[in-house]
Amino acid sequence: MKIGIAQISPYLGNLKRNFELHLDYIEKSRKKKADLLIFPELSLTGYMLKDLVEEVALNPKNNPYFKKLKVLSREISFILGFVEEKEKGLFYNSAAFFSGGKILHIHRKVFLPTSGMFEEGKFFAQGKNLKTFDTPFSKIGMMICREFLHYGASYLLFAGGAEVMIILSAAPGRGVSEERFETSRMWELMGETISRFSTAFLIYCNRVGFEDGVVFAGGSFICDPWGKLVTQAAYFDKDFIFQDIDLNDIRRARKRWTYKRDDKPEIILEALKRIIREHED
Amino acid sequence: MKINGPFVEKVLTSFIREELSKFNYKKAIVGLSGGLDSSVCAFLAIKALSPRNVIALILPYQKTFQQDVKDAQSVAKHLKIQWRIIDISPMVDAYFSKYPTENKISKGNKMARERMSILYDFSSREKAMVLGTSNKTELLLGYGTMHGDMACGINPLGDLYKTQIRQLGQHLGVPEKILKKTPSAGLWTGQTDEGELGLTYDEADKILFKLVDQMIPKKEVIGSGFKKETVEKIINLIKKSEFKRKMPPIPKISARTVGHDFLYPYDWDK
Repeated sequence: MKIGIAQISPYLGNLKRNFELHLDYIEKSRKKKADLLIFPELSLTGYMLKDLVEEVALNPKNNPYFKKLKVLSREISFILGFVEEKEKGLFYNSAAFFSGGKILHIHRKVFLPTSGMFEEGKFFAQGKNLKTFDTPFSKIGMMICREFLHYGASYLLFAGGAEVMIILSAAPGRGVSEERFETSRMWELMGETISRFSTAFLIYCNRVGFEDGVVFAGGSFICDPWGKLVTQAAYFDKDFIFQDIDLNDIRRARKRWTYKRDDKPEIILEALKRIIREHED
Repeated sequence: MKINGPFVEKVLTSFIREELSKFNYKKAIVGLSGGLDSSVCAFLAIKALSPRNVIALILPYQKTFQQDVKDAQSVAKHLKIQWRIIDISPMVDAYFSKYPTENKISKGNKMARERMSILYDFSSREKAMVLGTSNKTELLLGYGTMHGDMACGINPLGDLYKTQIRQLGQHLGVPEKILKKTPSAGLWTGQTDEGELGLTYDEADKILFKLVDQMIPKKEVIGSGFKKETVEKIINLIKKSEFKRKMPPIPKISARTVGHDFLYPYDWDK
């Protein structure tokens, strides 16, 4: 399976230009015979939207851009980030998986960072689920940026049978004592850990560029089911990379490392219920 | 507080290039004082934009700072950028001859605003964006003139402490003489930042880094070996100058108000 990662810098608040940018990357990936192309979080809109959220929101059911994207997905699968108006006046930070002329799944961001420099909870409605879905390649689970740093989110996808976890990100860099942002290591550490202990492939697609002085850090990567980082895009700069992965590696890893076989979601569920009951005020 | 020079250079030059292009500028303009911050800013600007797209204005008052003028000229020549000296004395003196004062701060502020006014005039003449040169130490301590040296289109240096600017300057090849120069706002002869603030930058930056970046409570900062009076002085300066870092408050009396809940990104549709 050939994966493409589009480490782009979207135009803030400009759907039309971003749509064209997506078309360009989709076409180039199609020519490269990629099976799946991944764009970062809010790739169709840019990140620092604030009150622009409602202006760039769209409903996948009747949006003309989405209509064209569905047609394109007959030849290549892709994942992109957008603002979804699921119901009138409710706006979600969403990721859609396009394949075979359809949208196979939409994930709505559950963990909306709202502290310090982040204000997502102020502008977005909260998603309510993290679930896996079947694709022509494998069972896949998606997360959006901060969700990946809440390890419970990855666990839900693991318990749901994810063989490939895909993270769309718009992660700002912080800390300049090294030749890349110090925070880049945080994502890599999580990627290596979660892929290894989920015995799953993990693809992290981050964006680059500046918005209102915030610097997005790039450094997208793919980890194999043994936790090895097998490829990485540039830190900080735009990049467009392709990587072949062998999905049989999931079987190989899981035969040897039996975390999936030995997982006990029913016990975890009961324990969580007790914890929640005990912590009720 | 150590910075990686090449990486910071890369981020800041990209920032300058990208922001100028978002706002449809090809050129940048910077007020060169002969000091460290504006020199570092000019060094970054030529790397971001090439020397022919950077304009330097040297804006002395009377003959009091001849050495600074020479240093600023040498930076401009070294970088091969267009530069021009404009003496601000006639404008400033014309005003103070009518409204005299002995207040050094008032005079200094007036000079800083005169320079701003000229930089913005040339910004418009030359279609060049004004680059700010206020560092993080000055911004936090409020050591700058509102609508004066704090005014700019973008401020590439605003998240670097003074001691970090010196590290960056070293990496960029800023002449030793300027790197070692005693920091001065050039408000009057013999004035130094450290003298006026009653703090050394070295000490101030260490304390600010703990208070601001690491969010360590005051008590613990004092406990880690800094003088109580110094830490309190710094906290007081930060508090007193918050107004300089904000847009002025507007009384909210309508449904949607600028600065309160009319919230658009700076880079809106850029």
